[in-house]
Amino acid sequence: MTRQPSAPVYLNLLRISFPVGAVTSIAHRVSGLLLFVSLPFFTYLLDISLQGPEGYAEAIDILGNGWLRSGSAVLAWSLFHHLLSGIRFLLIDIGAGVMLTQARASAWLVNVTALVLALAYSWRIF
Amino acid sequence: MSRLAHGLRDWLLQRVSAAFLGCYLVYLMVHFSLQPVQDYEQWHAWISQPLIAIASAGSILAVLVHGWVGMRDVVFDYVHTVSLRLIVLTLIGLLLGGCGFWALRVLVLATA
Repeated sequence: MTRQPSAPVYLNLLRISFPVGAVTSIAHRVSGLLLFVSLPFFTYLLDISLQGPEGYAEAIDILGNGWLRSGSAVLAWSLFHHLLSGIRFLLIDIGAGVMLTQARASAWLVNVTALVLALAYSWRIF
Repeated sequence: MSRLAHGLRDWLLQRVSAAFLGCYLVYLMVHFSLQPVQDYEQWHAWISQPLIAIASAGSILAVLVHGWVGMRDVVFDYVHTVSLRLIVLTLIGLLLGGCGFWALRVLVLATA
């Protein structure tokens, strides 16, 4: 039996580079976690927005003004990234775009499009 | 049901709820891009349409299923102590259940 190579003792985090698909994947997790944590916030917005004209105006105000709008921009990115990378994973599940070059291209497309859409959202509210 | 069948069932639930939520979200984004809501009356009228109200209730349930399976997978990957796992999973279940009940109640009261 051959001896297992010993575990690396030197890990330079700056020299470890993620393949683009790994970035898409971990960002899917992070965005999903952010969306989960913000569920009470979304539910609260739904609640007040349906209580009448004043509540509706307040909900719009919360999303677009004040210190919370940075948060709403992050949540917009989370939603766009989670949706787009989710569609990509479903397509890969049914066998579309599994080849490495296609998978890399779609990963780039998802990462960049989510950022562009989030920037477009930010541009509207800032 | 065996553990394997549980895993397969959850894998499928995750994808079915994802497909439903994906369709709902894309519809929302396209609809509100083309016809932005201007005030409370329009917003209330839109969500009170029977098909939209039913689809919205369905998407709330889909979020509960999707959020539960997704968060449970994340917890199983990063939390290895059994007691801590139980505590975190309980908190996740409470948050999901609470928000789901709250959102459905809002939807029913506003549209009924």
